[in-house]
Amino acid sequence: MLQFLVDTVLRASDLALIALGLSMLYGLVKFPNVAHVQYAMFGAYVTYALQSSGFPLVGALLAGSVAAGLLTLGLQVLVFQRLLRGGPAIAMIGSLAVAMLVIAIMQGLAGSFPRMFNLPRVEPLVIGGARIAWTQLYLMGTTIVLLALFMLVLFHTRLGRAMRALSSNPMLANASGLNAERITYCVSFASGAIAGLGGSMLALSTGAHINLGNDLLLPVFAAAILGGLGNPIGAVFGALLIALTETAVTNLNFGPLLGRELAFMPVGYISAGSFLILLLALLFKPYGLFDRDVRRV
Amino acid sequence: MTPLLRVHDVAKAFGGNQVLHGVEFDIAPGEIVGLLGPNGSGKSTLLNTITGFEAIDRGRIEFEGRRIDQVPAHRIVAAGVGRTFQLPSMPRRMSVMEVAMAAATSHHGVWGTLLGSAGSRQAEAAAHAKATALLEQLLLTRVRDLPASALSGGQKKLLGIVCALMGDPRLLMLDEPTAGVHPNLRRDIVAALQRLNAKGMTLVIVEHDMHFIREVCTRCIVLDRGRIVASCRPDELASNEHVVQAYLGSVEPKAVEEAA
Amino acid sequence: MSAVFDFAVSTVTIAGIYALMALGLNLQAGYAGLLNFGHIAFAGLGAYAAGIGFGLGWAPLPSLALGVGLAMLLGAFMAGLGRKLASDYWGIATLAIAEILRTIATNEGWLTGGANGISAIPALFDGLPRPWNAVAFLALVLGVLAAAAWLCARLGNGRFGRALRLMREEPQLATCLGYNLRTLKTRAIMASAAVTALGGFLYAHYMSFAGPEYMLASETFLLWTMVMIGGLGNTLGVLVGVVTVQAAHVLVPFAKDWIGFGSDVAGALRLGLIGAILLACLLWRSEGLVPEKLRKIP
Repeated sequence: MLQFLVDTVLRASDLALIALGLSMLYGLVKFPNVAHVQYAMFGAYVTYALQSSGFPLVGALLAGSVAAGLLTLGLQVLVFQRLLRGGPAIAMIGSLAVAMLVIAIMQGLAGSFPRMFNLPRVEPLVIGGARIAWTQLYLMGTTIVLLALFMLVLFHTRLGRAMRALSSNPMLANASGLNAERITYCVSFASGAIAGLGGSMLALSTGAHINLGNDLLLPVFAAAILGGLGNPIGAVFGALLIALTETAVTNLNFGPLLGRELAFMPVGYISAGSFLILLLALLFKPYGLFDRDVRRV
Repeated sequence: MTPLLRVHDVAKAFGGNQVLHGVEFDIAPGEIVGLLGPNGSGKSTLLNTITGFEAIDRGRIEFEGRRIDQVPAHRIVAAGVGRTFQLPSMPRRMSVMEVAMAAATSHHGVWGTLLGSAGSRQAEAAAHAKATALLEQLLLTRVRDLPASALSGGQKKLLGIVCALMGDPRLLMLDEPTAGVHPNLRRDIVAALQRLNAKGMTLVIVEHDMHFIREVCTRCIVLDRGRIVASCRPDELASNEHVVQAYLGSVEPKAVEEAA
Repeated sequence: MSAVFDFAVSTVTIAGIYALMALGLNLQAGYAGLLNFGHIAFAGLGAYAAGIGFGLGWAPLPSLALGVGLAMLLGAFMAGLGRKLASDYWGIATLAIAEILRTIATNEGWLTGGANGISAIPALFDGLPRPWNAVAFLALVLGVLAAAAWLCARLGNGRFGRALRLMREEPQLATCLGYNLRTLKTRAIMASAAVTALGGFLYAHYMSFAGPEYMLASETFLLWTMVMIGGLGNTLGVLVGVVTVQAAHVLVPFAKDWIGFGSDVAGALRLGLIGAILLACLLWRSEGLVPEKLRKIP
């Protein structure tokens, strides 16, 4: 049981930071950025490159997230701002092109073989029968700390208030003197940095590999959509729900239901389970589980 | 004579904002009714609820004796109610003629088009002829091959009227057809509307322009903050104190006395 | 010389099949403006129908009918989802549907052969001697493509296409002209599904194989790239886009042999080239290389 909870929370921390960044930025730019998960992959590679050439791990992690943040900001200024003039659909397809380019460049530079981090071997932690690797524990801890920080900023600072205003009503916010462009730039950098950090910490366990982003695409989007695009806190809950579904699907013994002793869902259906949840959620709550707005659809 | 349109106790709120408070009126066939009221009085919302673009919270709307308040917008159009928009937005990659022809919705069968059946070709030819005639009537023949979005505001309104007319509506609801339109064009619109009415079309026109109202309308309904405050002939408007109050704002008699 | 000939025939055949699937996407994305990111599922259904039908001992045509029928059902389902979803959410939902189908295909070995797929699907013209079997297949593909292109162009210029394009640009106007947008979208998606399933069916017979990798999300993205580069909404544009993307795909291995870089770099170059062309088109020629022209009505 404890292992179940631990697995759920761990999986959720894989997704939470990246989903949060995605949702946060969507609130301002209003288009689903398919390249977002590639920023995580990019951050992972930068961290790996620095750490393997001698940098201390923490420094490398910071550098990786800053690099990812700068990449996101640069793309927002140079590419997406222009594409958005053609509408969100064009921007979404443009993000597809950007994703392809980022993958291509990283593949050309780093090859398609996963790069494992050279970390001191430490025995995994065992708490009450549940096993957690130290790298996973760090990821979980960092996620919780960052989340707390984020909520602090969002609800108790001027910047956070401005972000929320801009997200719900851009025109009014602009008219009341908020500098939409500057705030969008700040948020772009932050969401990219968070994604880069999330990707780097994930890579500590899985290694930096080309498909790191792709593997995360649908679960991260599922989490963000469940929480309602534009609702970053919701994205975190979405991540928890997706993680819960994935863990449940693989761990629950359906045997009693089918009159057998043991019957488990094939591992391959893990992701299918979360997508099914996503579809069902969208059928009944098209704007996410936490949608409270009055909206003319 | 049964009314063509019957609006019974219609209420509509957006969030906490009650826009329509139990609006009730009838429109008889052959009338040209002006719908007036200051900004925010609910005219556009009323138009939207009748034509099916907004759902009502309470009440009943009947057209030719049949209820239309729960019916989706496209079916209301098919039933004979046409409408135009105040700020018509027109496609960029379609020509004026294409848009007009697109307005002929009868028989849009895929197989017919593919196989070039006789019925399909006849329908196309009929739509072509009708669109050409209407464009001519509303003076758009000159611009028929231009992209529809390249038209001036006034011309787009005319195109909107052409599109609504392609469906042969028995009731045509127009949302500010002459706002921002060149005076010459305005004359042509007035003439076109009067011709249509002479042939039996009932018109409901949301308007601000008093000259237009006096020229064209047989009756006026005045809305103020979601309620009907007057239903009278155009020449009676100026003397109707409710109308004056609605437009100029009510002044409490007591306050006037005290200030004096 | 024979190797070059085989290569040419093979390249054109595959390009033709992709063109068929891209034309299908154009019906949805180009004419109707629908952001379907699970489009490849239709092709996958066509491919698997070929394999499953063969396994059941059916002749090709009934298998094709099965594939097209299943694809149209899926299309109707996707259209039904759109009733409640805004377009970008719908795009992601369709992506999720395709992924679910791919997962089922990977896991349900009894039906689909699992991760290994269904092999040994006959090549349709096996009776003919080489090279005529390949040439005959190519002729079939090109013939089907020509017919599909003609039909799509006809549809696009006719009443249905006009309705779709109006809905794409001014949905409110389309509604107040009496169009049932729901029905239009459903018809567009189902027509698109049918054409694409046909492409998938032919592909399975050409490769003698049907597997879950046919339904990867990257395949949908490839088709989207072809349609966007060439120009959304017109048939010629789609064909130009297919040729452009296929050219990039084919030239890279040549460059690899000529310049001598590794296969990782080759793969990266292919992907990067496509991504770069797509991005360039979106930034500077968002209408595509062959912009949709205003249709002149006599």
